[in-house]
Amino acid sequence: MHAVVCEDVWMIYKSLKSEKIALKGINLKIPKGKIFGLLGPNGAGKTTLISIMATILKQTRGRVEVLGFDSVRDAKEIRKRINIASGNPNLIWSLTVYENLRYYAMLYGVRDRRVVENLIDEFELREFRDVEFNRLSTGNKQKLLLARAFVNDPELVFLDEPTKGLDPPVAKRLREKIADMQRDLGISVVLTTHYMSEAEMLCERIAFINRGEIVANGSKEELKRMLKMKDKITIEIDAEISMQLPSLEGVYMVERDGKSLSFYVDSAERRLWDVASEVAKLGRIKNIVVREVDLEDVFNELVK
Amino acid sequence: MSLSNEVCKTLAFTYRNFIITKRNFFTIFETLFWPVLGLISVGLMGMYLNLEQGYFAFILIGAVTLSVLQVSQLDVAYVLLFDIWSKSLRYTFVSPISSWNMILGSWLFGITRGIVAFAILFFSSMIFFGLNLLIPPPFLILFLFGVFLSAMIIGLITCSLLLIFGYRAEIFAWTLSAIFMLVCGIYYPVSLLPEVVRFISYLIPLTHFLEYYRSFYGFETSFENPLLLGYVLALLQVLFLFFLYFWAFDRARSRGTITQFSE
Repeated sequence: MHAVVCEDVWMIYKSLKSEKIALKGINLKIPKGKIFGLLGPNGAGKTTLISIMATILKQTRGRVEVLGFDSVRDAKEIRKRINIASGNPNLIWSLTVYENLRYYAMLYGVRDRRVVENLIDEFELREFRDVEFNRLSTGNKQKLLLARAFVNDPELVFLDEPTKGLDPPVAKRLREKIADMQRDLGISVVLTTHYMSEAEMLCERIAFINRGEIVANGSKEELKRMLKMKDKITIEIDAEISMQLPSLEGVYMVERDGKSLSFYVDSAERRLWDVASEVAKLGRIKNIVVREVDLEDVFNELVK
Repeated sequence: MSLSNEVCKTLAFTYRNFIITKRNFFTIFETLFWPVLGLISVGLMGMYLNLEQGYFAFILIGAVTLSVLQVSQLDVAYVLLFDIWSKSLRYTFVSPISSWNMILGSWLFGITRGIVAFAILFFSSMIFFGLNLLIPPPFLILFLFGVFLSAMIIGLITCSLLLIFGYRAEIFAWTLSAIFMLVCGIYYPVSLLPEVVRFISYLIPLTHFLEYYRSFYGFETSFENPLLLGYVLALLQVLFLFFLYFWAFDRARSRGTITQFSE
């Protein structure tokens, strides 16, 4: 069984003056019990898609099934079993950490105050228990939002850019927390993010969305294989590069940046000599770096 | 659907409104300061005009009703606005609540604030002007409950307009009750109004609740049983407005207004 199934999902935002197509026939299956990444540039449709899955929005066309329930007909059943946290840390300003959690727990019919107190401990918010939301640091606001997403013991959690704008150490701790919670509770997580390293660290499967369409979907390795790019060779020379290079076998993409060239190849071992020989004709080679292609490279290629 | 769960979800909004009111000096001002100020200024005007006791009661009832209505409707009208202002609407709507949990929960706190405002105004009119606005308690409760139903009507209209028109509609949270009172005969009988406006005022339950209260001071009512008519109209309108709210919510989900409120 899948956590989410989307079939030909369209979303068209209508206003009096205009229409904007946000999603164009999305087909997607999200497995249960895993962290699934939804990646894409700004305005690609990530938040719209996640909002439809979370029943906050209603799609214009198509069908969405969440945990076996239809997102339009059974929205309330779905809402009992899911939750969401966004990277824009916004909750009621004047309520304290405890009051915010208590209020949201009550919305799910949770009366037991120990649930709230346990979440405060679990997310290391004890010393801020009675601090109003607007007085918390961004990191603690984000922790509170994450804690809020667990008040109803959900089966599926949507995390919409949960580490956006956080300092790297805070973001790292939060990522570890997400991974721990997912592993300990065995829940399904759908994560949207801009940070490729975050997706690489957390997600078992990933879908790329661009201009309202899913452009690729699979495991990290499958995605890299799909684009046949395995390695990246970056060569720096002592002169500005103005000439075009001839096309070389096994080279799928070339990026130029000042005095350096990056080649995306099927195998660095097999192509390094040919590539370096060609570059040497343009100037004296100062440095060569070879590394495996990462998700960021895949992402850059897909959104072109 | 368990009843205790539904009660818990409803009381969540009562709890939230209570905490926000407790923390916000401005909302305490809304409950205490402005109503008393309004009552005193209207009362002084009545003294200056040397009004008879009955007419004096007539205008003070108008002033008291306006304040109670204004205070109690704000809680319902603010139920969406609190979330919109803090950009947290998506977290409320992702939870398994019904619209009636939201409206009823906030209305319960609105009733509490309305009762406090009424008590303050009741004693203020006695202390400052020597006027006793007490009518037999069961009738007073029926009158006040009618005013609270009118507050729910105004709150429901504001919430629906917010979902349909977005931020621009927040102005209705502060203006609708004054417009209602103008049409319902705040300081004058509705018979004074032009015929078209009078027809509209008869459709508004508050007109009949006001006439009912004033009938205890010897004023004639436009219809034989204003209380019954007021309640029938109020219940029908609450029912209709819930449907309007459901429709507006569904429309906001389809058009993406809800996520815009959270950005």
